[in-house]
Amino acid sequence: MAVTEQFLELAANGLVYSSIIILGSIGLSLIYSIAGFANFAHGDTMTVGAYATLIAFGAVGGAGFSILGLPLGFFVALVIGIVVTAAVALVTERLVYKPLDIGSIGLLITSIGVAFIYRALIQVQFSSDSRRFDIDRLRPIEPLVEYGIRITKHDIAIVISAVTLVVGLHVLLQHTDLGRKMRATADNPDLARASGIRIRRVELWTWVLGAGLAGAGGAFLGLFNLLAPRMGFSELLVIFAAVILGGIGSVYGAMLGGLLIGMIVSMTPLLSTVGIPIGGEYAAALAFIVMVLVLLVRPEGIAGEPVGGG
Amino acid sequence: MSQVNAREYWTDMNRAEQGVATFMAVTIGGLLVAMLAGGLDPTYFLFLFGLGGMFALMSLGLNAQWGFTGLINFSVAAFFGLGAYGAALMTATNSPVAGGFDPIFGLVLGLVLAAVFAVAIGIPTLRLRADYLAIATLGLAEVIRTVILNERDLTAGSQGLRGIPGFFENWPVLSTFPEAMPGLRIEIIPGQPVVLELSFWEQLLNVSLLLVFLGVSFFVLRRAHRSPWGRVLRTIRSDEDLAKTLGKNTYWYKMQAFVLGSLVMALAGGFFAHLNLFVDPSNLDPITTFYVWVAVMLGGAGSNRGALFGGFVVVAIREGPRFINELPPAPVRNVLEGIVNVIPSVTVEIPSIVLDAGPLRLLLIGLTIILVMRYRPQGVLPPQRELIWPDAIEEDEKARPEMGVREAKTGEIDD
Amino acid sequence: MLAAGCVGTTDEDNGDGGSADDDGSADDDGSSGDGGGDQYSIGMVDSLTGSLADFGERNQRGVELALEDVNAIGIDDRELDIIVEDSEGNSQGGVAAAQKLINQNNVPFLIGAVGSGVSLSIYESVVQGTDVVQLSQNSTGLALSEFPDLLRMSPSGQSQSAALADIVTEDGYDEVAITYINDEFGESLTDAFTGFYDGEVAFERAHDGEQASYSGLLSDMNGSGADAWLFITYQEEFATQVNNMFESGYEAQLYGADSNRGNTVISNTPEGSINGMKVVEPSAPVEQDSFQEFSSRFEEEHGEEPTVWSAFAYDCVITAALSIKAADEFTGSALSEVVRDVTRPEGEEVFSYEAAYEILDNDGTPSDIDYQGVSGPIDFNEDGDPVGTLQVLEVQNHEYVPIEFREG
Repeated sequence: MAVTEQFLELAANGLVYSSIIILGSIGLSLIYSIAGFANFAHGDTMTVGAYATLIAFGAVGGAGFSILGLPLGFFVALVIGIVVTAAVALVTERLVYKPLDIGSIGLLITSIGVAFIYRALIQVQFSSDSRRFDIDRLRPIEPLVEYGIRITKHDIAIVISAVTLVVGLHVLLQHTDLGRKMRATADNPDLARASGIRIRRVELWTWVLGAGLAGAGGAFLGLFNLLAPRMGFSELLVIFAAVILGGIGSVYGAMLGGLLIGMIVSMTPLLSTVGIPIGGEYAAALAFIVMVLVLLVRPEGIAGEPVGGG
Repeated sequence: MSQVNAREYWTDMNRAEQGVATFMAVTIGGLLVAMLAGGLDPTYFLFLFGLGGMFALMSLGLNAQWGFTGLINFSVAAFFGLGAYGAALMTATNSPVAGGFDPIFGLVLGLVLAAVFAVAIGIPTLRLRADYLAIATLGLAEVIRTVILNERDLTAGSQGLRGIPGFFENWPVLSTFPEAMPGLRIEIIPGQPVVLELSFWEQLLNVSLLLVFLGVSFFVLRRAHRSPWGRVLRTIRSDEDLAKTLGKNTYWYKMQAFVLGSLVMALAGGFFAHLNLFVDPSNLDPITTFYVWVAVMLGGAGSNRGALFGGFVVVAIREGPRFINELPPAPVRNVLEGIVNVIPSVTVEIPSIVLDAGPLRLLLIGLTIILVMRYRPQGVLPPQRELIWPDAIEEDEKARPEMGVREAKTGEIDD
Repeated sequence: MLAAGCVGTTDEDNGDGGSADDDGSADDDGSSGDGGGDQYSIGMVDSLTGSLADFGERNQRGVELALEDVNAIGIDDRELDIIVEDSEGNSQGGVAAAQKLINQNNVPFLIGAVGSGVSLSIYESVVQGTDVVQLSQNSTGLALSEFPDLLRMSPSGQSQSAALADIVTEDGYDEVAITYINDEFGESLTDAFTGFYDGEVAFERAHDGEQASYSGLLSDMNGSGADAWLFITYQEEFATQVNNMFESGYEAQLYGADSNRGNTVISNTPEGSINGMKVVEPSAPVEQDSFQEFSSRFEEEHGEEPTVWSAFAYDCVITAALSIKAADEFTGSALSEVVRDVTRPEGEEVFSYEAAYEILDNDGTPSDIDYQGVSGPIDFNEDGDPVGTLQVLEVQNHEYVPIEFREG
């Protein structure tokens, strides 16, 4: 197969995968900058969203007209999944993180405990087997196949939905009161508090948005591949790589980082074709190496603020 | 420590220590009773003890990094795995690179690999601030695991390395010890004999090896901790800038602590290879890293005794679900039901949740982390004395670790 | 510490510790020594969870039926009890499970495991050096043949690979692309296949288990240009691969080994996505009366016909029970002396536990009976492998349909 064909095929797939990663990385970056710690439970939060959507879809059913091969019921279930994920995050914040007074490292470690609990509860309910949404799989879109691009309408739906959510977030951040307050808190929490912003409110909204986006990402990941209790944790490090590449503290950095890392991971097989002996199985490893390089060379990432002392 | 009077020793311990000592005594006593009564197989008990000691050993290693120096190292599993793979590659029957060598070579290879990779990981990460260090070490550990999983020509990949011999297989007396020992039949309770045979003596050898490793590591780390070198590490942990102001090359010290800890972890991995007799890439799964973190957190960062305690508790969490997969556990439930149902005409069934071992383990670990961080973040046995200036310490003070400087009598540190 | 008179040595006739008296069984909470009372307990390592969970389910169903048959008569007035531990489909889990069964429960007979790598790891890391008898219920990887004391009820995959090579050639493909699961089973069957196959192997690559997507692998497979694709992998992985193929629009003639056919594949893949696929697997003796009886009982209980895997598990239990009956004592060494004899071609052919038991009970020796299992004649050869036949199935209308038999 010609290199250009493979390139286009991988790039198209990469776009879908990146959409999912972006939904995760934005959430992680928001939480990192406003709640102030690296949330190791973020991957499993995506898993929660995926399974919540699965259950909701089972209840709502696949009736109704379809958009891009996805029944209306799926979108309803998706919304439910997002809401449930946000609720779970709020409960966790209230029960677990808020009462702790131990600094960001302590919170990081605690979030690992939270991640295990999310995963354990899902596994109790669903065992460790993989599942799929009860939606018919689709053939690739015909006209594109001759260019080597093999994507289905579902993939298009994922990208469009992700873009919609991201645009919605952008609008919220730039043009609403809440968004203004969030940006102010992320920039300088003390100044924000001094100017009368209720930090607590902002924090809670951050969790809602961050977890909600992650939940959506999880549901799309389940649609793109399949659902398994480990699905979110497997992506966690990739999402961290995206956030670090983009720069903590910058939502737009997280978007860019998500796109870049998602593409790097998806297009790794291209390396073997051009003679570099790194196989597709090293895709995630490659992302981690990129992450470490960024930390060495430019820890603030592409768009983040310069990092102060440790 | 200079006290030899047992009574004084007891009262000198603070409540936490007394609690732990009692707990350990009760647990060990209970297990011994179970064994002598024929309820718990001694060979299997030794196997579990071996696992516990292994986690304790890894905890000692992590303690040198996190407890002494404040390094958040999430690559524990990788160094454990390198130690195990070093041992396995030299001795396993299906090793693609060697095989059939004496286990000593395997141990050496494991330690060398650990040192090399510790430096390799340390170079990019030790300058990073704490949370970045955590993420980066986790990522690099995953890279190592991925390489081991995929480079089948070097490591046998996901098949794993099997047929690993016991550690003492070429030693003159010890290799025949298990067969030479007579099978013993101990019958304390008539009708419930305890049989100690070949497999028991084999495990006894393994456990002895572990105790040697534990003893050496404990001793070495304790000396290191109390030495001037250890003092610098403690300074770095609580205030790195201060250490720098004092003229110390903190990066270099951190690297040394990192390598030292990694060597101890690799030792645990080497032991594991000769205990389990089988090694595969799943041994490098990050969950092992988090088990060891829980052990250190439970025990108390900086406390070597605490690390030992934590190690054994973690094994209970890891292996317990194999036997008890209901919450509340069946014997407890039976007792409760027995009590409640004494009331005539009342038959109550205590509800229980049946859980598979896998999720139950995860649940227990997650809960342990959260509960420890919430209610006892300094751990059960935190080191007794603030560790910056050991000369400024009073023996009688029973303090929490963050309490600052104390007046001193001697330089003794309780570990 | 120990009261005088409580300590004694066990019988010294062999150095590897068989105890003198019939202390055989350990009951469920693992007490050692005699006190088993009314049960003979053996162990089983099965894949109850994980990639091979489907096999675990099939096996447990076969075991249930076997226990019914054995305990209807009993073994010398005792019941047979099987302590089952989960290997979780991987070697680490299998080794831990075996350690518990052998060291904690002291079983002298171990049925295990499903995955070939798991069986080997259990054998080399736990069983070897003890006198426990190990009998694998489902492993077909070739390497087990190198260990004569590691018995198995399922035939070696070598015959499957040979058959597959023949079929691919007969179907007119002189080029094939192969992908296989990254373990002992996948590797050994693939190596055997490439040895037997006359055409060109245009593509050959291993893949890891339990991945969320195999798009990259399949894209490369497609790029090889071969029109015949061989998959030697497990059901969950294959289902994912089929979905990826479907959504990428790849078309090819598909072939598979015993491991990737089953309900998990059918229910997780789109209709029509694997039509025409041919699968080779060990076959049960479908003409045999005892198999037909087994099959109808199974169907009554579970609403579907049994696979040969359930039959293998059934026969493992029966063989163990007959060995216990025929042996002098309930120890590993005694059992290992008779386990092959009870199914060897010497002696009267018997087709059920009941018939075999009757002969043994009337002062019969193990060589007086030749148990013919519901999975075939068994007859372990010197490598510990049974004799077997193969069947070829084709997917038609998204269902597996047997189309022919071949000699093993």
